[in-house]
Amino acid sequence: MNHFDEMTCMLYLDGQLEAERARELTAHTEGCAECRALLGALAGEGRWLKEALVEEDEAVPARLLEPRTRADSVPWGWIAAFGFGSAGAYTLWSNILQPVQQQFNQAGFSGENLLTVLLFNGALWKGWETMRSLVEFLAMTTFGILILVLLRRNWRRWTTVAVVMGALLCALALPRTASAAELHKGKGTYTLNAGQEVKNDLIVGAGIVRIEGTVDGDLIVFAQSLRVQGHVTGDVIAFVQDLRVSGQVDGNVRGFARTLIVDGQVAKNVSAFADTTELDTKAKIGHNVYLFSGVATLEGEIGRDLMAFVGHTELNGIVDGDFWISSDRLAIGPNTQVKGRARYRGHNQPEVATGAKLANPLEVQIVSRRPDYASGRYYWHQALLWGSAFLVGLALLLLAPGIISDTVRSIDRFGVSIGFGALLLIATPVVVVIACITLVGIGVGIATLFLYLIGIYAGQCFIGTWLGEKILGAGVGTGAMIGRLALGLAVIRVLRMVPHVGGLIMAFVMCWGLGALAVALYWRAHPQAAAA
Amino acid sequence: MGPQKAPGEMSAAEMVEALARARAGSSDAWGEIYRQYAPAIFRFCRRTLPTREDAEDATTEVFMKVREKLGQYDATRPFSAWLYKVATNHCWDMLRRRRVRQDLETGELETLPLEHPDPGQLEQLLTKSTSQEVRRGLAKLPARARMALVLRYYSDMSYDEIADALGVRRPFVGVLLLRARHQLRETLMQSSLAGAHPLSPRGKL
Repeated sequence: MNHFDEMTCMLYLDGQLEAERARELTAHTEGCAECRALLGALAGEGRWLKEALVEEDEAVPARLLEPRTRADSVPWGWIAAFGFGSAGAYTLWSNILQPVQQQFNQAGFSGENLLTVLLFNGALWKGWETMRSLVEFLAMTTFGILILVLLRRNWRRWTTVAVVMGALLCALALPRTASAAELHKGKGTYTLNAGQEVKNDLIVGAGIVRIEGTVDGDLIVFAQSLRVQGHVTGDVIAFVQDLRVSGQVDGNVRGFARTLIVDGQVAKNVSAFADTTELDTKAKIGHNVYLFSGVATLEGEIGRDLMAFVGHTELNGIVDGDFWISSDRLAIGPNTQVKGRARYRGHNQPEVATGAKLANPLEVQIVSRRPDYASGRYYWHQALLWGSAFLVGLALLLLAPGIISDTVRSIDRFGVSIGFGALLLIATPVVVVIACITLVGIGVGIATLFLYLIGIYAGQCFIGTWLGEKILGAGVGTGAMIGRLALGLAVIRVLRMVPHVGGLIMAFVMCWGLGALAVALYWRAHPQAAAA
Repeated sequence: MGPQKAPGEMSAAEMVEALARARAGSSDAWGEIYRQYAPAIFRFCRRTLPTREDAEDATTEVFMKVREKLGQYDATRPFSAWLYKVATNHCWDMLRRRRVRQDLETGELETLPLEHPDPGQLEQLLTKSTSQEVRRGLAKLPARARMALVLRYYSDMSYDEIADALGVRRPFVGVLLLRARHQLRETLMQSSLAGAHPLSPRGKL
């Protein structure tokens, strides 16, 4: 007689066999030890599985013990944390970001463009430690995300994130999508000859661009070098290596460049993010000048105010309004004339030549390189920095608790995390620059840079949570994670305050955290590799 | 049905009564029902989803759904069966959204021959493996195999209910379960060969 197979035995045990077949099997097993043994083993396996699955191996998390109702879905702890966060964000906003934004608005920058400004200054501007805008910017982003989190009941998490990112990208893309612009794309040289006129906005992507004729509209250029010798009736917006404006621009000049030279006339404002900036003696700017630059030589005439965040500034021209310069060094030459207030903030005493004519005495504020451990402001600032890091961590915990716990786990893999972190830290900016230079990739480049900055900043949150867990032991539930995050971040903040090595520690923490995040994300994308 | 009916807790009659009150809008009655079933549903989610956080979120969301849909519940059927159905759909959706589709496709599973087990060897494996090892082995299985075992041996679902929950034909449920049992045996066998503590969680020292 034939033996019964495993499937039939299992179906028999589960009561899934037809009555007749079941009777056959019963009869067979009475005489067949082999099938009896199989049946016994399978029944044993069924009990064994059930036992293993039903066993109460871990306690039910405290937050699940009581049903969630609408009234207690926003507990008081949260309201307090949220209130604290809002207050912190508001302080940062009203003290630092808003005044700067107002300045920019006067220059014709809209809110969307401020984002571009903040994104670009990190990459190009040497002195960004001075403004710490990144921190404040992230705090604001977090604030927005927190609001979205509260609304998320009707939203899927990643949909929310996608919507936010999408909106940001749209905001970045929108400002200058001119409706019916003339478009040129190529690798070589583009020249608009003298006498030629483009009666439209002109957008050019090329290697070398020369404008000798007239553009009756805005000029937008992505190129290696741009030289404007002719006439542009609108704005000039340039993402180039070398930018030189020798002709006449009736609108604004906004440049993201390595070197910017102006020896022509600009009727409105000049805003520049450049490594080297030069306003020649022939340069004439109608309104304001906003500079984020490594080195700036300013010898031309500025019709209104000058605001500069520069590594090294040489001023030897005319400023009809006020100037406000935040710089490592400032030299004021003998041909300088300033009609309004003159304010300087920097690390070194300014050098003022004897011939310089300042309508008002120069107001000097020397910032010491070393943190001022005796001042209360320093500790208040540290507390604010802790607050913004905590806000970012909180948003991450709410949005992606799974990613946080995965990342915290991969922090233990020290070597891999640090390796990945260092690699990403160096490689990402290179990738971003490449993406930005190739015209098509500028959106991708900016988005990558944005994620990169968030990743670096969030690094301390992961390490913070991990540290907190090392100190207090692993906790259960979101509340415990928040506590550990807060404690860990405080420890990191204190370490950051250690003289000399604090900065190094912080860089190390961010690198490690970024790497751990990358490893965790890799595991998420490749669960098989993780199990192996 | 379900492993959660511990003695000393709510009786069937109390349950019916609490359900009726909860449907009428009583928060207290809902609280009683919640406390009765939340631990079981949490464990269910914990067995089917990859992380503890996922399981916590899923539990909360399942009960929110159940409360919203309480009006649609057919009181002639067991409540726990309905509850598990909601939970299963929810967890299955979550897994599907996470792109675990590669193991949702049926295809070759039906055709692959299964090696006939040696009852003695199987018995040996059963006595050797602890419950904890079984659960860890289970966590390594593809989502659908894991889901099938949990539905059958944790939630006590019938073949019909499993077929319905996983969206497969009823005769295929047996294949799915047997295949999953084989995969689990292989996993446990491999890890017991691999060393003394082969199943320690990754990353922990």
